[in-house]
Amino acid sequence: MLFIKCPYCGIRSQNEFAYGGDATVKRPELNKEISDKEWDDFVYNRKSPRGKHLEFWHHISGCRQWFKVHRDTATHEIFKTLKPHEEL
Amino acid sequence: MTQEFRLKDEGLIDRSKKISFKFNGKKYFGYEGDTLASALIANGVHLVGRSFKYHRPRGFYGAGVDDPYALVQLIRNNETIPNIKATEQELFEGLEAKSVNCWPNVNFDIGGINNFLRIFLPAGFYYKTFMWPKSFWYRIYEPFIRKAAGFGVVTHEHDKEKYEHKYEYCDLLVTGSGPSGLASAYSAAKNGAKVILAEDKPRFGGSLLTSEVTIGNQTGKEWADKIVTELKEMPNVVVKNRAQVFGYYDHNMLVMSERISEHMPKTEKFMPKQKLWYIRAKEVVISSGSIERPIVFGNNDTPGILLSSAAKEYMKVYGVLVGKKPLIFTNNDSAYETAIEFKKNGINPIVLDSRKELNSDLITEAKNLGIDIKFEHVVVNANGYRKVKSADIAKISEDKTNLGKIENIACDCICVSGFWTPTIHLASQSGGKTKFNEDIDAFIPSQSKQNETTVGSANGIFNLNDTLKNSFEAGYELSKKITSKENKLSVPAVVEKKNSKHDKFWCVPLPKGKKYKRFLDFQNDVAVSDIELALREGYRSIEHVKRYTTLGMATDQGKTSNLNGLQLVSNIENKVVPEVGHTTFRPPYTPVSIGAIVGREVGKHSKPTRKSPMHSWHEKNNAVFVDAGLWLRPRYYKKGNETLFDASKREAENVRKNVGVCDVTTLGKIDVKGPDAAEFLNRVYTNAWLKLPVGKARYGVMLREDGIVMDDGTTTRVSENHYHMTTTTAQAANVLSHLEYYLQIVWPELNVNVVSTTEQWAGAAIAGPKSRDLLQKLFPETDCSNEGLPFMGFIETKLFGVYARIFRISFSGELAYEVNVESDYGNFMWEKIIELGEEFKIQPYGTEALSTLRIEMGHVAGSELDGRTTPFDSSLEGLLSKKKDFIGKRSLQKEAFISPDREKLVGVVPLDKKTSIPEGSYIVRDANAKLPNPKLGHVSASCWSVEYNNPFSLAIIKDGKNMIGQKLFALSPLKSKSIPVEIVSSHYVDPKGERVRS
Amino acid sequence: MQKYSVFNLIKNAFSSHENWEVAWKDPTPKKSYDVIIIGGGGHGLATAYYLAKEHNITNVAIIEKGWIGGGNVGRNTTIIRSNFMHDANGRFNEFSMDLWRNMSQELNFNVMFSPRGIINLAHSDAQMNAYARRGNSMRLNGIDAVLLNREQVKKIIPMADFSEDVRFPIFGGLMQPSAGTARHDAVAWGYARQADSMGVDIIQNCEVIGFDVVGGKIKGVRTSKGDIKANKIGLCVAGSTSILAEKLNMTLPIETHLLQACVSEPIKPLLDHVVTFGAGHFYCSQSDKGEMVMGGDLDGYNSYAQRGNLPTLQHVLTEGIAMFPFLSKLKMLRTWGGIMDMSMDGSPIIDKTHIEGLYLNCGWCYGGFKSTPASGWTFAHTIAQDKVHKLNADYSLNRFSKGYLLDEKGLGTKTWIS
Repeated sequence: MLFIKCPYCGIRSQNEFAYGGDATVKRPELNKEISDKEWDDFVYNRKSPRGKHLEFWHHISGCRQWFKVHRDTATHEIFKTLKPHEEL
Repeated sequence: MTQEFRLKDEGLIDRSKKISFKFNGKKYFGYEGDTLASALIANGVHLVGRSFKYHRPRGFYGAGVDDPYALVQLIRNNETIPNIKATEQELFEGLEAKSVNCWPNVNFDIGGINNFLRIFLPAGFYYKTFMWPKSFWYRIYEPFIRKAAGFGVVTHEHDKEKYEHKYEYCDLLVTGSGPSGLASAYSAAKNGAKVILAEDKPRFGGSLLTSEVTIGNQTGKEWADKIVTELKEMPNVVVKNRAQVFGYYDHNMLVMSERISEHMPKTEKFMPKQKLWYIRAKEVVISSGSIERPIVFGNNDTPGILLSSAAKEYMKVYGVLVGKKPLIFTNNDSAYETAIEFKKNGINPIVLDSRKELNSDLITEAKNLGIDIKFEHVVVNANGYRKVKSADIAKISEDKTNLGKIENIACDCICVSGFWTPTIHLASQSGGKTKFNEDIDAFIPSQSKQNETTVGSANGIFNLNDTLKNSFEAGYELSKKITSKENKLSVPAVVEKKNSKHDKFWCVPLPKGKKYKRFLDFQNDVAVSDIELALREGYRSIEHVKRYTTLGMATDQGKTSNLNGLQLVSNIENKVVPEVGHTTFRPPYTPVSIGAIVGREVGKHSKPTRKSPMHSWHEKNNAVFVDAGLWLRPRYYKKGNETLFDASKREAENVRKNVGVCDVTTLGKIDVKGPDAAEFLNRVYTNAWLKLPVGKARYGVMLREDGIVMDDGTTTRVSENHYHMTTTTAQAANVLSHLEYYLQIVWPELNVNVVSTTEQWAGAAIAGPKSRDLLQKLFPETDCSNEGLPFMGFIETKLFGVYARIFRISFSGELAYEVNVESDYGNFMWEKIIELGEEFKIQPYGTEALSTLRIEMGHVAGSELDGRTTPFDSSLEGLLSKKKDFIGKRSLQKEAFISPDREKLVGVVPLDKKTSIPEGSYIVRDANAKLPNPKLGHVSASCWSVEYNNPFSLAIIKDGKNMIGQKLFALSPLKSKSIPVEIVSSHYVDPKGERVRS
Repeated sequence: MQKYSVFNLIKNAFSSHENWEVAWKDPTPKKSYDVIIIGGGGHGLATAYYLAKEHNITNVAIIEKGWIGGGNVGRNTTIIRSNFMHDANGRFNEFSMDLWRNMSQELNFNVMFSPRGIINLAHSDAQMNAYARRGNSMRLNGIDAVLLNREQVKKIIPMADFSEDVRFPIFGGLMQPSAGTARHDAVAWGYARQADSMGVDIIQNCEVIGFDVVGGKIKGVRTSKGDIKANKIGLCVAGSTSILAEKLNMTLPIETHLLQACVSEPIKPLLDHVVTFGAGHFYCSQSDKGEMVMGGDLDGYNSYAQRGNLPTLQHVLTEGIAMFPFLSKLKMLRTWGGIMDMSMDGSPIIDKTHIEGLYLNCGWCYGGFKSTPASGWTFAHTIAQDKVHKLNADYSLNRFSKGYLLDEKGLGTKTWIS
């Protein structure tokens, strides 16, 4: 069971959190003309790396804040957790 | 029955407490402190079961968790429990057990015929046959094989036992209370660390219970007792026996199952059978010890053959002799302790040592005691079927390939020692790497992945002096990291016997012309010849070998067989063992009760149940409930002998004619607040939100980014910066997370907050032509006229003094209102509505009538918005703003979504106006077309239209709007129905929506 | 090739089984092949077999990083079914069922296909309706399906929870009587043995390090055993697809997630069918060894770990006991995990790519085992003919961009929610 440090609440067990997917995918700005490819890259296409992965988690049974987790997808080692607008 | 094999004084059992028990219907006696195995051996019973494949007789091979044989069916508190290990089950008064996998009984088992056919049944034989004729596999062969396989039996009944969970945090978790575990725990505890010490067995001390050593000025056992007593008294230490740490999970989460009442007849009503501990440890010390390895020889699975350490444990812990004419077969010194123990108890063992004559403390002691030792001798084959009767022994050449003259010697047990295998399961489960240690011919932990340290024989250290030194050190260093204290204990002096080097020898060659089965995996009957066959056939990876032969896949998970299997593979493949590698260690270390893993979330408690504040009223008024996610909602209110159809029709008709009230508390409710709330809603919903005035509600649809409808509902502007959003019951949680995602991640610049208020409000929908009259009665001081509270209007007011919100919104298509009060007043509100509604002939209505009402109005709900439909498909295109961007808009351009072929929402009426169309039917042109019959679309929802008194359905069909007026068929092959239908508009009732505005 | 039969088994018994030949050889790779299949799992082995058998292309290598059959074909819960709602999925998998029905005989290897029937339990009328929709779709596609009411379900599986003490009572279920199970390892080995006998090189312990792409055309692979040339390369690596795609600068509509399964200790036969729980994610069958084979949810976050976490397993077993209360009395013996190539609509991709000669077979989510033969058959066709077969035409890579989604569950792109 993962032990995840919520940047707002501190370290908690995995059951308090919900996963939110790849955090490197950025939603295109509203009203911006973009290609089909750019849109599909946002909606569908994922790198899904083996190794370091920056991802969103949601402290759903806690402070209800979304945040980023930098985790190894092969070992589940968590290197760092960040607020949504912090960069690695 | 006398306990013929019970020693006079030895052992740790309590001879003052005699216990009676039954095995295979026969009554025996044992003592408190016995296991079922030790008590049976005391009574001379060695035949307990039959093996998996050949149904060969099975006895006891170990004295604990490593035993691969002794599975029995246990009867406890009138419940029959399968696959209980006799070597682990503690004896209690009235215990009953039976042999499994044998018929008619364990002495004479028909399945034993497999043993004679075994030359036709090598590894993987089933892959090569049972293929003809084709249908016979499933019909004939497989049922036969299924019957022959399996061990115990389980009945259909619910488990009457309770299981508990506990969550715990500690600085240091120590897994095993042998010398290394005790030393680590003690040293860490004395340095201030919060320690949990877990011991699988009932008794603490591990190898100290059976070894002849001195620590300080005490015997090993005395020292262990003293340390345990002291640990138990320390406030920072939790000491648990009967507690198996079986899984090492991520981020130093370990799971332990503790037997609370399993080992005794149940006495207290509320006593759980087991407790599962989830332990988050800052550091873990793995002190799980080691398991003795077998040496492989002919018919080495015969009952009476067992590990030498087990024989010693039976004597020293249980005071039981495994035999009176023991043969001890070893490649190392440790078996001499067993021999000496026999001798001390007046039994004369013969020791066969595969090594050239050598000397060590133990060997000298054995010699001095006059024990008969034959060096360079091995057991070639064991004779006897249900119990070993004699052994064929021979001298073996130095290179271990040639056998001398075979000699037969009588014996009633053979105690085998092929050296020791560290128990590295937990270390490996933690993700740590292992390495092969040539000195001990076994794998030991190398690099740790998590905060874990392995000590003692689990780490391949087999002398007590080093074990204690390292363990005291580990306990100190690990605790110091956490407590920053430096209270270091001195390591007590140890007196132990020095061992000489073991022999790298583990398998006795076959004598010329003999084809003895030499077993590696005792439970699954995997023999040396099976491994040889697998490799011969090209199954060369160790995983292939395992899967092809089933080596190590039995319930003991290869604790005694894996390493010998690896040795064999590496010998044949001419590789070294580390090149062959071991298969992955995964939790659980030993089989763990499924009931314990699940805990208390069983039966009605398997998921939470959500109830509205009006639930008890519904119950009192004969509501029949339906699950809506976790909520329970009234489906209909039963009157007399009404069916679901009758009741829902009555309730819906009453809404159309008079007035009805429906509990809508379960709808998701979210407060959206902040100066940018309108802008936020404008991005989240597909329609325009910037100009919604205060006191007005609006219907909205939200999409996922892939353009599929996510949810719909009304949102009301309560005040300037405050909106009250409603969602469907099913999507409430998802919508909230969705909103938070966009606010916190995508548009943090928006000054908006959202919070769920679902539980804050009780909601009642009042619908029907007389709803306004009722509303006026409920709120006499409020202007409820069409002008005062127009369609989509909202007011805040008081219901007899209670703050209330009225929304003029309608799901039923009738003139309707939704009243919300704070949850605590929900019942008050409801009763007032019923009371004052009486004169308007009010009736409560459930979800079934609600469905009817919405279907005939053509309102979409979950059965249409099923995660696959776009707004175009569900007739919601009118809500798509062309002027602004919103979530998912970009996806709506996709070729498939705008294709004219796309399935669209329509209404369907049977031509005979009588036959209801089952939901899930398909609309086709030709009812009798050849399969596959091309589908135009499916029927998503059906009802009995109370307006027109005939069936009506919604369907989503290709090119829907252009199909209106066509005569087609609704097919439900599952229900053998083929119904001629006409496609009509989905807005069957009041297509212009006049009623809601009236 | 030696024929497997009861006669040969008896014959060999008298020579102590010392004359059995290898099931497949262990060749060193040649410099070049007509086709290279990357991935020696069920789908890769089946592809090579059908390339040889249906298209007479035998100069084929299968390159496997570990040992063949070590991926999901050896880590699944052995369920075979074609109970799909979408036409494309239903027809594809019914074709697969046809291949399963003859597989033991065709491969001369007993894969123990056992059409014991699968029952999907329903716990509400809404769910019954959803199943009716699915079942009717199956029937109209010529696939067998039966809708069962509560009493009918009770007759077939009385050990399910029909008591009062139940959170989600059983309303009924959808049954596909012809669905069933097979011996998973045998499928891999059976295909390997036949492919090998027709000349396919099975190269194990050979890792793909990179690709040679020249002018938009595939030319070969670089491996831990050297460079190997081929003008046609099929990617068939399930959960590892994204890793290889990265080497090709491709980003795919899939994510890799972990699915766990577990078995209980063996018990005497009790459950003859495959049963899935409707009020959660749990399914269960009893193997011929007597073990209850159980599976359920994804671990819920991207993972290549091949080792699972306990909360998911606990959750799955909770639903297990809710369905079959007797499970509480059993012990969990083994657990394992497999890494799944979860596609964004839950359906697979079998298609050509923008690189000429490179073919893609992925996105099987947690349902690849049952499709093994059809996947191999259609992928072989796609590679041999350089065009998709009508059976896999809907499994295109560009369906996401065009919107032709095949979303059986309606869950959209959140691949980690199962």
